[in-house]
Amino acid sequence: MPIPFIMPKMDMDQESVTITEWLKQEGELITKGEPVIVVETDKLTSEIEAPATGTLASILYHEHEEAPVTQVVAYILAEGETIADLPAPEKPEEVEAKAAETPAQQASAPVQLQVSPIAQKLAADLKVDLNQLGITDRKITRADIEAFAAAAKEKPPRPSATPAARFTARENKLDLSGISGSGPGGRVQLADVKAAQAAATSQPAVDLKPAAVLPAVKPGEIKPFTGTRKRIAERLTQSYQDVPHIYLTVHVDMSALSALRQRANADKTRDSVSMTAFLVKLLALTLARHPYLNATLSERGVELLGEYNIGVATALEEGLIVPVIHHADQLPIRTINAQLRELSAKARNGSLVRQEVDGGTFTISNLGMLGISEFTAIINPPQSAILAVGAIERRVVAAADDEIEIKPMMSITLGCDHRVVDGAVAAAFLRDLKTVLEEPSLALL
Amino acid sequence: MPEITYREAIHDAMVEEMRRDPSVFLIGEDIGTYGGAFGVSQGMLEEFGPERVVETPIAELGITGAAAGAAMVGMRPIAEMMFSDFVLLAMEALANQAAKARFMFGGKATVPMVLRLPGGSGTGAAAQHSQSLESLLIHIPGIKVVMPSTPYDAKGLLISAIRDQNPVCFVEHKLLYKSKGEVPEGEYTIPIGVGEIKRPGTDLTVVSTGIMLHRCLSVADRLAQEGLEVEVLDPRTLRPLDTEMITASVKKTGKLLVVHEAVKTGGWAGEVIASVSESDAFNYLDAPMRRLAGKDVPIPYNRLLEEAAVPQEADIEAEMRALLTNQY
Repeated sequence: MPIPFIMPKMDMDQESVTITEWLKQEGELITKGEPVIVVETDKLTSEIEAPATGTLASILYHEHEEAPVTQVVAYILAEGETIADLPAPEKPEEVEAKAAETPAQQASAPVQLQVSPIAQKLAADLKVDLNQLGITDRKITRADIEAFAAAAKEKPPRPSATPAARFTARENKLDLSGISGSGPGGRVQLADVKAAQAAATSQPAVDLKPAAVLPAVKPGEIKPFTGTRKRIAERLTQSYQDVPHIYLTVHVDMSALSALRQRANADKTRDSVSMTAFLVKLLALTLARHPYLNATLSERGVELLGEYNIGVATALEEGLIVPVIHHADQLPIRTINAQLRELSAKARNGSLVRQEVDGGTFTISNLGMLGISEFTAIINPPQSAILAVGAIERRVVAAADDEIEIKPMMSITLGCDHRVVDGAVAAAFLRDLKTVLEEPSLALL
Repeated sequence: MPEITYREAIHDAMVEEMRRDPSVFLIGEDIGTYGGAFGVSQGMLEEFGPERVVETPIAELGITGAAAGAAMVGMRPIAEMMFSDFVLLAMEALANQAAKARFMFGGKATVPMVLRLPGGSGTGAAAQHSQSLESLLIHIPGIKVVMPSTPYDAKGLLISAIRDQNPVCFVEHKLLYKSKGEVPEGEYTIPIGVGEIKRPGTDLTVVSTGIMLHRCLSVADRLAQEGLEVEVLDPRTLRPLDTEMITASVKKTGKLLVVHEAVKTGGWAGEVIASVSESDAFNYLDAPMRRLAGKDVPIPYNRLLEEAAVPQEADIEAEMRALLTNQY
């Protein structure tokens, strides 16, 4: 019997995945344990491994299609087996469609393709997969193969650009399609590339997101809203609609912590420690004293999680990803710093693994490096609180003796689930956090 | 430095070389008593006599064949076609014999001859006396094609051509004979195959020679008043071509216009453009490379039509402006 290739469920509340890529094609030999499918879930891209050894057959969900989890997505044939040994196709809409059209065909699955001999040979020569033609109701002819091969050859149009523009864009790793051209018919001139390059380099240095060139916006152009982007939207909408958010803001004098960080970074032989690393550590320590901020509300009640795993929201071109520093309360700040660096790099090149984004109990979102003074964030479910961190700015403040002073100030805004956390509880947490941020030596106690 | 005409510069070069080297002689139609159709050899019969200023019947193949044969046995003939159009009659001697002898005899024979070719339109001489056949000649390996645009270049290049061991077609423009320029007295040479930047610029490279070079320079001067800096290059020799100078300039400006009087189809502009396209200058191009050339018609007799058939300053200006402002 052919072995069904079942899409595994990777997350509790997951219903489907988007298939990004089939690493193997129908008819190819696959070995148990080798990656066969690349899928995109709400959190990241994963590789799905072959559950058995054999020949891959009858792919039911193709690239860029959504496939339900715990369902069959393909079959693996043992030696000697053919597609004739397969059970009826299980892709629901296909079954329905076939039932509506030709009820007789439903039983005789999978469909045996009718192919003329010359078409068969041509398909083999041109490496055309006959199944991809989608012709099941008639004989596949030579013209079908030729038309399919011609269509497959057509590439998206190259942007119009002069050789100098192309060369310069290539040298500077700029995407020509993102540069609007001033030449005839929108042709990209050398000057356009140079302007884009200047714009790209003059943008403020954002360490989490590669500086992009001016996007070429075509009026009315529809960008696909799928995969990561769609999942983020669904989760945020759900959180914003279901969770009654309350927001509290405090302004923190960062003189002491900035000085401490400067002293730490005076040692040039070691990696410089980011402010985020200090925040993660001090936040985790403070959370330990305020368990309701580190909790999950479910039907069973409020679960106090007891582990302090801090997620750090990271902006990527295709959306947000939240790698997690596990047990941040127990880690030295330099270790947290090193982990943050590693996770941020992995997030950018898309190589984060499940464990690195799972298990977060509290999220911190820092837009300080982008110059934002203060903002509010939406809670990352099923957590019950999120901390929005603004920029450290030199602000005029009233000192204790009513003197006017200029101090490095940072505004932090706590967003929390009012069902779990009352305003007073949140205020107590923020007060403690402010205290330890303003006087980090207190964390030793 | 004294100012002399293009005609005088060519005359001086021939006279000086004939005084210096007894193997140099002239051969052609009406070059003696009449002094040449355009007066280039005036007074030379008197100085050098009929032995060295050989007048012939109307027989271009005979003139060229005699010159090629004389060259192979040690003479340095300067043969004149009354009009460059007549070189078509001489093609057997020029292309099949003179151009190939050195190669077919394994280098044992050389053909140090010069074929002077007054060419171009603008004199109302109609289709058979107004052609620009230099593009045809550069297609023949074994001959060099020189096309001077100033009196200074004409003298220096003609002396080099006379001393060269290969057949050299020396294309003169009829409208340039009366043009004046500074030319030093006495002997000097300009190497064949080396072009010159006649006007430096940064925004557009224009390659041209002969009468067209002067039109390009005049337009470039006008555009400079608007801050548009056109670099004008004169290859001076069409074969071998100074591609190094041209590619270096295109790398600087990113744009190329080639202007010539010869008809566009199969014209030497295409060769210039192809050489740039094949070079590392390709990556510096910021516009399509363009040709402005003679229309693909025989030169008409009617004055207005004759003017319309070859690039005039207005055409050149329009073409330069379009390239400078990214209209192409």
